[in-house]
Amino acid sequence: MLLRLMTYEWRNLSADRTPLWIALFLGLTMAYGTWNGSQWVSFQRETIEAARQEERERLEGLRREIPLVEAGERKVSAFTDPRLPSAVGRGPGARYVVMPPYGLGALAVGQSDLYPYYFKVTTGSKQTFLNNDEIENPVHLLTGRFDASFVLLYLFPLVILACSYNLVSAEKEGGTLALALSQPIALPALTMAKLLPRVGLVISMPVLLSLGLMAAGGGDLRAEGAGIRLALWVAITVAYGLFWFALAVAVNAWGRGSATNAMVLAGLWLLFVVLIPSVLNVAVKAAYPVPSRVEMIQAMRVAGDAATRQGAHLLARYLEDHPEMAPAEKGGAPDFGTLQVAVNEATERAVQPVRDRFDAQVAGQQAMVDRFRFLSPAIVAQAAFNDVAGASAGRYSHFLAQADIYHRQWRDYFVPRILRKEKLAAADVDRFPAFAYREEEWGQVAGRLGVALLGLLLPAGLVAGAGWRWLGRYPIAGS
Amino acid sequence: MAYHVQNIMLVASGLSKSYAGKVALHPLNLRIEPGEIFCLLGANGAGKTTTINLFLNFIAPTAGKATIGGLDVTKEPLASKRLLAYIPEQVMLYKNLTGLENLEYFTSLAGGRHTASELAGFLDEAGLARADAGKRVGAYSKGMRQKVGIAIAIAKGARALLLDEPTSGLDPKASNEFMATYDLFRAKETGTRVGIMKQGHLMATYTTSELGHSDLERIYLEHMHE
Repeated sequence: MLLRLMTYEWRNLSADRTPLWIALFLGLTMAYGTWNGSQWVSFQRETIEAARQEERERLEGLRREIPLVEAGERKVSAFTDPRLPSAVGRGPGARYVVMPPYGLGALAVGQSDLYPYYFKVTTGSKQTFLNNDEIENPVHLLTGRFDASFVLLYLFPLVILACSYNLVSAEKEGGTLALALSQPIALPALTMAKLLPRVGLVISMPVLLSLGLMAAGGGDLRAEGAGIRLALWVAITVAYGLFWFALAVAVNAWGRGSATNAMVLAGLWLLFVVLIPSVLNVAVKAAYPVPSRVEMIQAMRVAGDAATRQGAHLLARYLEDHPEMAPAEKGGAPDFGTLQVAVNEATERAVQPVRDRFDAQVAGQQAMVDRFRFLSPAIVAQAAFNDVAGASAGRYSHFLAQADIYHRQWRDYFVPRILRKEKLAAADVDRFPAFAYREEEWGQVAGRLGVALLGLLLPAGLVAGAGWRWLGRYPIAGS
Repeated sequence: MAYHVQNIMLVASGLSKSYAGKVALHPLNLRIEPGEIFCLLGANGAGKTTTINLFLNFIAPTAGKATIGGLDVTKEPLASKRLLAYIPEQVMLYKNLTGLENLEYFTSLAGGRHTASELAGFLDEAGLARADAGKRVGAYSKGMRQKVGIAIAIAKGARALLLDEPTSGLDPKASNEFMATYDLFRAKETGTRVGIMKQGHLMATYTTSELGHSDLERIYLEHMHE
């Protein structure tokens, strides 16, 4: 019987072209959002390609220069000698660490436009590469880009509410409810018959659109784990949609008029999508204030200056700590490169407390968001969407950890050579450590997304359960 | 309001309803025998619609109970609704569907399955022109919608019929002497028994066969002016 009632409801919906308008609206916004996202992905790809090209040319230059200098055909200073590891490791030989955009990156830009996705790794202290090239666009920080995840987070709930805010109240106001319920059917069953076609229509639309747009060239479905991630994207979309439908049913079940329902649901939308996220954002920043970047740079300058002044002393101490690094022949003033190694290390050590505080505060913020995100399904869904698209904080720290390891490898290659005052040959250029980004294990991503899925389904179920119970007491007649 | 009972009984025993201390229906004891047509007369707010809503289980009684064919309507809401059909004062249908589609939809709610020709037959019986049955209800008059409502009741094959203000869409309070008389006339013509309600009380019941039309008018006016 349910199926038969649903076909009538569908016919009723189709009569005023509701499905067409919904398809048109979501289709256009999703397509625009995905296009926007893929623009960002191609921009990232082009930037990365340009960086790689620059690196290739630079290293090629080194390979060409080194024999010329060796042959005495070119005069160079100690700062520019392509054979000196201290000179090369600081710049000319530097290589990029790169986090390429994920295959589904077009779905959600997230904060990937705030975090640098490539660094130049040098023998300099770690802070230099972390602070490099940081761009913070306050507008994007506030609103995010207009991408597919924006459509799903903000507009999709509005479409859901628009077609279900008066699910039951309109029947009561139109007078059809009394006639319908004089038949042997209970209100919850009748509500279900009206609800399911809407759920099917409104939820299937963005699901089909995101799958279609990804398949039609918006994404790279051969990317590692793309299938499972796309499936999770669909699951998150469905769960998020169900939450909003459940909310609409629960508000309808209260028995107020359509106008009141619309007001209440608009208020709830504002609460979950705008207010709770902004309040959480402010609360997180108040609870775990991050030391200002200026403070960090200041600390680095002071430490750097101090270290430079006492360079010789530092080097002596450094060599005491690392006797295995001591140059073979003793005596003579230490050269600039050697001093720089010690100075870098001292600077890094001096700045470490500020850096630790920074990291701890950021970790505190993340932990707090992780805990309180369940207050709003919008936050849960947003984090999950970013995760699918590879624009999440999780993937970013995964990248930073790899960059850290690589920075160590880079130093481990250059520092001993600097201290031993070795000279590089052209063939050494190819032996410089290279970086290759490893994608997160899909199990790790799926684990996070599984928690998010629960964080959406659970409130949806609770709200739906409450609505179902309230429907049993719905005032069919009178007030 | 009229109750038409074919072969089951409608019984109200001590049935009452209050809204936040305000009494809409004082304890009502009423027994409508199989085959009777019982008409409740009274102004707006007299408790007629409250009584119907209690029998439909649309509102919960404050005290007492209503039974249809022996079924307590609050305990067996679906089973009791299978026994009756309800035609409200204003039959409201889905404007986007045709009369035929509305009929099919509402009979589906009752779990009924009918062929297209059966459904058309119900509409014929209710007096809706074939040409109108395929038109969207948005273009229907009140009377045409009422005919669809009657067809729904016929399709259901209900054994008891609840009609709320079947004769007019007019507010008796605002209506003049003539309309009130017209109501009484209908009650006399169609009913086998008449009950007069006022401010939530069932004042009196009469068997119409024992009354002349002028008697009913006199009695009704007496009650209204008490």
